Amino acid sequence: MIDWLTEPFTLQFMQRALAASLIVGVVCSVLGCFVVLRSMAFLGDALAHAILPGIAVAYLLGVNLMAGALVAALVVAFGIGLFSREGTIREDTAIGILFAAALSLGVLLISTVRTYATDLTHILFGNVLGVTGADLWLTGGLAALVLVVLLVLYKEFVLAAFDPVLAHTLGRRPELMRSLMLVLLALTIVVSLQTVGVGLVAAMLVTPAATASLLTRRLPAMMAVSATVGALSSVVGLYLSYYLDVASGAAIVLTATALFVAAFLVAPRRGLVWRRRGRRATA
Amino acid sequence: MNGPGAGRATGDSVLLIDDLRVGYNGLPALDGVSLTVPHGAQVAVVGPNGAGKSTLFKAIVGLLRPQRGRVLVHGRPPGDQTDPVAYVPQREEVDWRFPVTVADVVLMGRYGRLGPLKRPQPADREAVRRALEQLAITDLAGRPIGELSGGQQQRVFLARALAQEPHVLLLDEPFTGVDVNAKEAVLELLQSLRAKSITVLVSTHDMETASQRFELVALLNGRLIAYGPPAAVFTPAHVSDAFGGQALFLDGMVVIDQCCPGHVGDGTGHRHEHDHRPELWHRHGEGREAP
Amino acid sequence: MRRPARWLTVVATLLLLATATAGCGAGGDAAAAGSLDVIASATFLADIAQHVAGDRFTVRALVPADADLHAYEPTPHDLAAVAGADLLLVNGAGLEGTLEDTVRAAAGDVRVVEASAGLKSRLPRPGEPLHAGDSGAVARETDPHFWLDPVLVETYVQNIRDAFAAADPAGAATYAANADGYVAKLEGLDRWIRGQVDTVPASARKLVMNHMSYGYFADRYGFTIVGAVIPSVGTGDTPTARQLADLTRAIRDTGAKAIFVESGQSPALAAQVAAETGIAVVDDLRDHALSGPDGEAPTYIDMMKFDTLRIVEALR
Repeated sequence: MIDWLTEPFTLQFMQRALAASLIVGVVCSVLGCFVVLRSMAFLGDALAHAILPGIAVAYLLGVNLMAGALVAALVVAFGIGLFSREGTIREDTAIGILFAAALSLGVLLISTVRTYATDLTHILFGNVLGVTGADLWLTGGLAALVLVVLLVLYKEFVLAAFDPVLAHTLGRRPELMRSLMLVLLALTIVVSLQTVGVGLVAAMLVTPAATASLLTRRLPAMMAVSATVGALSSVVGLYLSYYLDVASGAAIVLTATALFVAAFLVAPRRGLVWRRRGRRATA
Repeated sequence: MNGPGAGRATGDSVLLIDDLRVGYNGLPALDGVSLTVPHGAQVAVVGPNGAGKSTLFKAIVGLLRPQRGRVLVHGRPPGDQTDPVAYVPQREEVDWRFPVTVADVVLMGRYGRLGPLKRPQPADREAVRRALEQLAITDLAGRPIGELSGGQQQRVFLARALAQEPHVLLLDEPFTGVDVNAKEAVLELLQSLRAKSITVLVSTHDMETASQRFELVALLNGRLIAYGPPAAVFTPAHVSDAFGGQALFLDGMVVIDQCCPGHVGDGTGHRHEHDHRPELWHRHGEGREAP
Repeated sequence: MRRPARWLTVVATLLLLATATAGCGAGGDAAAAGSLDVIASATFLADIAQHVAGDRFTVRALVPADADLHAYEPTPHDLAAVAGADLLLVNGAGLEGTLEDTVRAAAGDVRVVEASAGLKSRLPRPGEPLHAGDSGAVARETDPHFWLDPVLVETYVQNIRDAFAAADPAGAATYAANADGYVAKLEGLDRWIRGQVDTVPASARKLVMNHMSYGYFADRYGFTIVGAVIPSVGTGDTPTARQLADLTRAIRDTGAKAIFVESGQSPALAAQVAAETGIAVVDDLRDHALSGPDGEAPTYIDMMKFDTLRIVEALR
């Protein structure tokens, strides 16, 4: 039995894959609570795809791909804020426009690069098996930064999200908090490139947090449960990908989804099973 | 036009409004308003829907910048100091599904005293405890905000305002759409605040309560029609000026029809204020709905 | 409503005219006497064909040397060049992937010649990443890398010679003579490689590739392919954790000494496996890409010699 648990992780690249997946699972899930509560799921997905031109440019210039991804994510995040700030365009529309433009730019740039075509697949779907030690340091560092900022400014984020009018009354600027949240989102997406890729990072932002929302009533608890679900999905997903011989990024996301479905059905008071039973009892 | 206290900056006035013009999108909703409120006074701000009551409060608390004129709290513009003014809007535009409890929400009132980086201190939690007690909602402290009734929610936001330990408290239509008990509770609260010399401005279109329970009344309709003790303000001339065709004079009695507010007074837009709990999942109606 | 309707009609007509004329004018000019306009898919193929063409004309290559042949997407410029050519020379057997389909769709009347026509694909040997007993899809995958065995390239030469002669009968004799000369060189190359390989002890003749590219080379010169990072004859797949783990185990069990990564491929995953097992990575093997005229592999034969030396040095 123990063998079965330890066998995949006798290999160093699997150990790194596990560490990276755990880090990503936790930071995505924690930040994901805000993404879910503030309806930023679409934004998260769009940002993830929008980093493609950043990666392409970084590749063409020969610099670190994650640095390119980060710059692109920040540019798009601020662009969305800019377009929708004046109120002439809705944020939804602004996101749609910038997302499509960035993705197209990325495809265009990549079409000028003739080599490493497979790397495009890796960018889209992650290549957790390719995580090096240096990658792990960078991933861990950025993730720690995101979590620290979230914790230190926690009450400000909650205030800005829950009651912006009060925030203004108390002399705060909730728009700044939203912009900062976008920056954290950009950082988190870059961190997640390695493990689940841009195609699936939106899922890791939303699904564990949604699961937690069904199981908790207070935000601190929601963040803790979400982190646990995210971590669990990463570990179980990796095991599944090893023993079933399938792609790891997808296995992680599908595990998280399965956990969500389970919560949706059997969560106390809010699960489908409970609500049906309640209806029958009162009938 | 202006009652006692207007235009004079007396030594013990906490709030001074001088020739204020304020509005939305460049158009004024209120113009030429001047009044001073003495320290510890309780003022009823009365007027029909669309008269500019909420607008006035927003200007006092600093949510709207004056287009002309000025607002001074303790001699300084709003926003210049921490927490002298607490504002309880008529309808809270908050995200009701946000996973915060009553205690969490009341604690937010203390954030003005804490900078962005500071955590709440024991003194803050003590202030929260006192505020909850004062509003008799201590037993609701751990309840998620979304599970409360309308009346309970009102108390929570009142408690939050009290937790701020303000010098000036602005209550926007606290008597509208609530039952008698809730109304009495608010009036009791106002009594207790009198003892603490907290200056209170309450907006309402309940003229009976205004005349019976407040020592000063400001009558608004796009401008300040009258300001002073109730007897001086509620004259037939002033009332018909304010309420236009909605006022009916019968044998020394004034009847106001408030059922279906139309365009009153100056013709600027007004809001229909209904009492229902807003389901606000999307802040601006955008983004995908989270599962 | 008159104005918009009229405007729409004008635009629609213009569009129709544009599409109609796009079809025309795509045909090539008749070849000048003794000259053919031939495009080959890859640089190595262009070089082989050039030796058959001799001085009569120049063969151009479509896919740049540093690109991945398996995944190349032709640009509109490329397609225009192909459309104007007399012959398009491809390796065939699925190497060019969608390139061939795109070209056939875009330049339908160009004559396409498969250089590897008549050659039979090898099947994976036991122990190689793909087993013949696996799912039908795997078994159906043909291995197109014939050209890495110089003896098989003799068939290429014959096919190319016949195609040239058919398109330009006046030069048939020249093409035949050039072909014979080149085949002699290929036989010389074969002997030279054998000599080099003999310097490697038999037990050390183990290859680990980035993808299954050197099958025919291994068969011809007595190497075993222990595994490939991408367990496929193509480059589009991503290996799963289990596959990498199996490869690691296979390397440890067999004592293979190096992983060879072909030009135009990312060495990242190979580097992971190498770090895990402590063996070397050779990342500049040229499986299809010639260098420039001043480089280390300006012709096909030079390329084969370069590769052989890299392999032999790593395994000795």
